[in-house]
Amino acid sequence: MTAAEPSGESPRRSRLAVDPDWSLRDAVAQPAMLGVALLTASYLRVLVHVTDVVGGTTLLAAEVVAVLVVGAFLAARVDARTALLGSAGVLVGGMLTYYFSIPASQRALIDFGVVLRDLVALLSGLSVFRLVQADVWALAVLPAPLLGSWLLALRGRYATSVAVGGTALGLFVLTGDAGTLTTLTGVVGAAVAVGLGELAPRRALAAHWDTVALVVTAMVVVTSTVSVVPGGGASPIVAGSSAPTLEGNVVDNADSVGIVGAIRLSPEVRFTVESERPSYWRVGAYDRFTGGSWVRTGESRPYGGGLDAPPGATTSVEQTITAETTLNSMPAAWKPVTVRGNVQQATQVTAEDGLRAAAPIAEGESYTVVSERPAYTTRALRNAGTDYPDGVRSRYLGLPDSTPDRVGERAAAVAERANASTPYDTAVAIEEYLESSKEYSLNVERPRGSVADAFLFEMEAGYCTYYATTMAVMLRTQGIPARMATGYTTGERVAEDEWVVRGLNAHAWVEVYFPEVGWVAFDPTPSAPREETGERRVSQAREAGEAGVDTNQSGPGEWTPTPTATPEDESGANDTVGATSTPDLADIAGGQRTAGAGELGSFTPGGSGGSSGPSLPSPETVGYGLVLLFGGIAAGRRFGIDDRLYRFVWLRYQPRDAPVADVERAYDRVETLLAAQRRPRRAGETVADYLDTLGVRDDRVRRVASLYERAHYAGDATATDADDAVAAADALVRETTPLLGRLR
Amino acid sequence: MSDDARSDGGDAAVETGGDPGPAGFEPLSVDAAADLIEEVVDNVERVIVGKRDAVEHILVATVARGHVLLEDVPGTGKTMLARSVATSVDASFRRVQFTPDLLPSDVTGVNVFNQKSQEFEFQAGPVFANVVLADEINRAPPKTQSALLEAMEERQVTVDGDTRPLPEPFVVIATQNDVESGRTYELPMAEIDRFAKKLRLGYPEGDQEAEIIGRTAGHHPIEELEAVTDGRTLQRARETAGQVTLSEPVRKYIGRLAEHTRNRAQLGVSPRGSIALARTSQVRALLDGRDYVTPDDVQEEVQTVFAHRIRPRTGSETGEDVVAESLSSVPVE
Repeated sequence: MTAAEPSGESPRRSRLAVDPDWSLRDAVAQPAMLGVALLTASYLRVLVHVTDVVGGTTLLAAEVVAVLVVGAFLAARVDARTALLGSAGVLVGGMLTYYFSIPASQRALIDFGVVLRDLVALLSGLSVFRLVQADVWALAVLPAPLLGSWLLALRGRYATSVAVGGTALGLFVLTGDAGTLTTLTGVVGAAVAVGLGELAPRRALAAHWDTVALVVTAMVVVTSTVSVVPGGGASPIVAGSSAPTLEGNVVDNADSVGIVGAIRLSPEVRFTVESERPSYWRVGAYDRFTGGSWVRTGESRPYGGGLDAPPGATTSVEQTITAETTLNSMPAAWKPVTVRGNVQQATQVTAEDGLRAAAPIAEGESYTVVSERPAYTTRALRNAGTDYPDGVRSRYLGLPDSTPDRVGERAAAVAERANASTPYDTAVAIEEYLESSKEYSLNVERPRGSVADAFLFEMEAGYCTYYATTMAVMLRTQGIPARMATGYTTGERVAEDEWVVRGLNAHAWVEVYFPEVGWVAFDPTPSAPREETGERRVSQAREAGEAGVDTNQSGPGEWTPTPTATPEDESGANDTVGATSTPDLADIAGGQRTAGAGELGSFTPGGSGGSSGPSLPSPETVGYGLVLLFGGIAAGRRFGIDDRLYRFVWLRYQPRDAPVADVERAYDRVETLLAAQRRPRRAGETVADYLDTLGVRDDRVRRVASLYERAHYAGDATATDADDAVAAADALVRETTPLLGRLR
Repeated sequence: MSDDARSDGGDAAVETGGDPGPAGFEPLSVDAAADLIEEVVDNVERVIVGKRDAVEHILVATVARGHVLLEDVPGTGKTMLARSVATSVDASFRRVQFTPDLLPSDVTGVNVFNQKSQEFEFQAGPVFANVVLADEINRAPPKTQSALLEAMEERQVTVDGDTRPLPEPFVVIATQNDVESGRTYELPMAEIDRFAKKLRLGYPEGDQEAEIIGRTAGHHPIEELEAVTDGRTLQRARETAGQVTLSEPVRKYIGRLAEHTRNRAQLGVSPRGSIALARTSQVRALLDGRDYVTPDDVQEEVQTVFAHRIRPRTGSETGEDVVAESLSSVPVE
């Protein structure tokens, strides 16, 4: 930060001297500032979303204000180079702050290689949400680009400012946290800033604003209608892309589950399981809810042989899973303790103690997992209490700040109606409430804002992700640690101890933590419609002859006793469900709690959200429309359409004014007509000359012309003159208008 | 030719009375003024054959309080035209033949010592008339020219410190012979500017010459010409012309025309020229029976009013060319 003097400026000026020619008001009033603001808003939005989920929005807002104030103060005193170097310094400072905020125990593990690896991971799509200290990270990383771009923009260096801001946005694009719309906003802002920033100092804004407008419109329209990578990650706003598969959505995403809209089912067989007991074949769980997606925080570690069993009593289940297609995950019953088979080396253990395949498992390969299933009774769960370990409390109770209060209120109300006094009863009440009040449908529209809130109060139907997300969020509002788990349902039973699992068995459910028991699965999704939908898809695929629908063992109706056995079907006893399977709602609702369901029926699906009036178009649609309108105006101006339109209306519609003005305009209209039909009046040609040269004999034209001469050159016209002239002009114009002239 | 300024057919009592002032006369109605001018033109046409346009222009200049410069070869009827106009309006007429030895006092008049009354008496010069024909004005030396031109502009004459107003109406019709360039003093631009119009009569066309010969075979028709109006009525017509509406679009049009000549030529039209154009356009409107000026009137007047005030950039171009170009390129609004 030495020798920051620019070569062109006076060398005797001290580095912090105020530039006398610079004024904050002028700098802020530049039109290019709009673009800079858009760009800044785009990456701020990402950071605000991060802090909304992990906490610290207030702090972030304070930081933004502080940086803006400091920037405004410094802008008069520094040049562009100092600003850039200063921002780099701030970035280094921020990163050091982040480093020292990491707990000392973890910090010891960080060396240069780790930092580099993390950086590469971030730049290749690791979501910021997966950072343990995401809030500190956001606060540490923000000031540098904000200060840099703000200072440079204030100094009129819009291109450099956009480069700094664009780098910040680019980082979030690479981490995958900036969505299409956010990115588009930022890019449009950058274009506006550079375009207007180049035009304004050359005083060319009035003449060329339409060029910038057209460029921006093209950017918006093209990005929202054309997807460069067919079937790739880019999802155009307008053009409909084919719905993802449920499996691809909930199971294949390794570290996060984005909640999407309409979804379809894949009937392909994924794997077969040989097990003594049926189970949900669990793949993973997610702890951090961002409002629209689930993220697993923390790092995975290699499987080192043997995992801890749950704290309470357990039952061992040994299962052998054979991949029928390439598997990216390692489904197994909860909770796995031992893995055998040659995939062992490529097995990782996630932060929530689940299994994860570091490398895809090839078709035909198989592995064996021994799981220790928590064995519990309903009483045990009821009596488990709320003495949660700190690790569970800090990880599994967080919710975005933006989660509406009504979610918690509804959860409390549901618990109260069911007279639930323990976490277990609350969980069952919520599970039952969701199951009974929402329809099962794969064809839903992705709601805006918090998915849990939208599903609870606005949507009438959804699929497993919506049910599980909502239940987990509701439980968290009641202080009950919960997380979303994904995996496969039991599948089609093809033999006494063998199940065929298809893509459409992919599922999401909820795990709730009970002290001394561990994680217990709850499935709020109504099982009957879900199974029906799955069966329908399978038979449809069989009829269509799709490949990979069946193994040589499976097929329509081969294993008669329970063709699509789910664990719930086996469990008969009310009070000792734990030993057999997950307490899916089917167990509970089937036996003991039908009355409760009736009580809860008083909640309408619309909820306190109230009347569903005519639905407003989404902000995207409105913004898109506005951009199109703006671009249309710019294009119209470019091609002179606005002018032509104006002339058209001007010629046909004459508002009345003072008589002199009326006569003058009436003549102007007639002359415009003549100009179109014959030729325009030449320079130096008087009205009389013009009409004489053209040989106009129409008395109406002559009359209007003589009235005009009198009005224009003598300032003399009566109301009758005006009426005459306007009537004559109207008649003449009407005669020349196609269609309209004939109607008369 | 020291036979000084001769009064030619000038029997008129020279009115040297006070300046009647513009407000001294009741204006005529538009139609009456138009009829009056028509009448005078018709009367003059009895003498001058086939020069109706020129006669109209002279009348227009007269009513517009301007003076006229006639430029042409000798014998085309310049003098006869001036006399006919003077006779028609029943006004005093004097003719001054400009020669190289003509003195300013020969034009304006001198104070002569009267032995009888032992006082100096003013002997009025030929300029004290309603219509003054300054023949071959370019033959007199500049000093004499300027004496006349000052009288034209100021409408008064100062001799030995006494200022005497000239009669109203006062119109100078000067002629200029452009065939003999020897022994002439060409009028400087500044003085040419004081003529409202410069006209060319030109030779008669076809049968017109035969008609002229026929008419003048016996006695000259000018001897039978009678006045159709008087100076007073002419003054009233002038008053009417001054009240013709000159709206802003027309004023701006005149201004644009003048400006165009300035941009186009070495020396363009002065504001005095613009004022002259405005005034003559008013009379032209009157001739058409209108009480407002249209650009058509301006276009009709502009050649005779502007062309002689312009010095073009190249010798191959004339003032008329510049005006014609202005007319075709300055938009009418």
